[in-house]
Amino acid sequence: MKKAPLIAAAIVVVMLAAFPFLSPEVYYLSFMFSVFMYVILASSWNLIGGYAGYLSFGHAAFFGIGAFATAKMAALFELPPVLTILAAIPAGAIAALVAIVIGYPCLKIRGPYFAVVTLCFAFVVDLAVKNIEWLGGAEGIWMRIMDVQEKLSRSIMYEVMLILMVATLAVAWWVGRSRLGAGLRAVRADEEVAETMAIPTANIKIQAFVLSAFFPGVAGGLFAYYLTYIHPDVVFSINISILIVLMAMFGGGGTWLGPIIGAVILTMVNEGLSTFARAEIARIIYGTLFIVVTIFMPDGILHFFLKRNRGR
Amino acid sequence: MLTGKKITKRFGGLTALSEVDFEVRRGEIVGLIGPNGSGKTTLFNVISGIHRPEGGDLFFAGRRITDFPPYKRAQLGIGRTFQIVRPLAGLNLVENVATGVLYGRKQGAGAREAREKALEILAFTGLTEKARRFPDELVLEDRKRLEIARALALNPEVLLLDEVFAGLNPTEIGSAIELTFRIRDAYGTTIFMIEHVMKAIMSTCSRIMVLNFGIKITEGTPEEVANHPEVISAYLGAAYAAC
Repeated sequence: MKKAPLIAAAIVVVMLAAFPFLSPEVYYLSFMFSVFMYVILASSWNLIGGYAGYLSFGHAAFFGIGAFATAKMAALFELPPVLTILAAIPAGAIAALVAIVIGYPCLKIRGPYFAVVTLCFAFVVDLAVKNIEWLGGAEGIWMRIMDVQEKLSRSIMYEVMLILMVATLAVAWWVGRSRLGAGLRAVRADEEVAETMAIPTANIKIQAFVLSAFFPGVAGGLFAYYLTYIHPDVVFSINISILIVLMAMFGGGGTWLGPIIGAVILTMVNEGLSTFARAEIARIIYGTLFIVVTIFMPDGILHFFLKRNRGR
Repeated sequence: MLTGKKITKRFGGLTALSEVDFEVRRGEIVGLIGPNGSGKTTLFNVISGIHRPEGGDLFFAGRRITDFPPYKRAQLGIGRTFQIVRPLAGLNLVENVATGVLYGRKQGAGAREAREKALEILAFTGLTEKARRFPDELVLEDRKRLEIARALALNPEVLLLDEVFAGLNPTEIGSAIELTFRIRDAYGTTIFMIEHVMKAIMSTCSRIMVLNFGIKITEGTPEEVANHPEVISAYLGAAYAAC
């Protein structure tokens, strides 16, 4: 990494970390929390969906698994609220483990079939959790809240999510420049050719899938704790799965910056619209935006502007 | 070095290869010819692992590789090009070749070393000026060179060239022939090539195998093969063979 971007990134992170100390309104802390969360989700998805070109439409499953695993661990071991935050890490590991089991058969399927299979996987997990009484069933799980002022607890969650975002983006950056990233790009371009180039495609796809499941799992755990009450309809929502894909594609799949741009812009637009416009109108504008971008910038905003610069 | 014993490959009711035996020895340039649909590319696909044969065994450098997946065979040193060029779209030439270097036989190269090595290979194949271009901006001749460059990136012991001369004009064929010899001499790579362009195959190969309807009909020096009655009848019809 060249020095200038590294310094720029460090400055941004420090500024973001300092933000809660300016004593902003709780609303802004919550808003930034969801921006961070979607950056994590979109950037993680990008590892398998962007670099390798395997469009997973079931990534909410990993998010939800992380959320439920955290809530259940907190309840089982009667963790104090602060330790519950840490329980999100093993919860992410559980999501990653599920990714191995699911990825092994599913990643043999290519193109639209993979998208359909992952979509179904998310439905199956959702239904399974709803029907397991031990996991709260259709009623969901309540969690203990931090015994501090709302502003302080929101600030803590903000900082924790920020740390997770920095970790996710660091890993995404590394993958983009590593041998693994080069192999994944070859898989996206032509999997058969990639095999004849000595690339163990099955192996690296699993690696990417597992990484792309781990971070959403941890994020799900933090989200559960943030909400203090989780329900399958919320964390396994198909809307989340689709939003993740749209954000990454909107910004530019297969690049490091693309999903970040996509997640930030779309979260802001969504939030702005629901504040300033009526809900129905907001949905219509939101939908129109997607259609326009898909038609005129099929490779995402980032590619659109990069190509302009290159004059290609 | 690369040996096949009684290789049989069927696609449904069609027998694409029937008990084909072959051997390629270290340092050779061996040709593989035959009319369209005779099973040449199928044989290459079996060697590189894209197709599993229904019968027979493959050996490479003394190891039985029949059950190895394609990437493992490539790691061992079997490189190939595709008849219809298949560059990695969306990646420029350096990235195309550097990816091969990263996963090839001499592993452990860092990103920078891989780029340097890739540029070296692109220079060797005459693509230096286009190193930053994308495959879809190249003319056919250069795309064929890119196929070769990407295969060379693995540092292969044996290189399977699938019709790299097809569609080229006489001048381009001349320089492609020269490149074939340079590959063998500079990298010490053994070459097994499918070819229709007779000028190319006659001047490069020390030995030629002929396939027809999935059966190996003969094998020998270019002169022997060119005058073999079965070869003439396979290409031109039985009437000409009698002359």
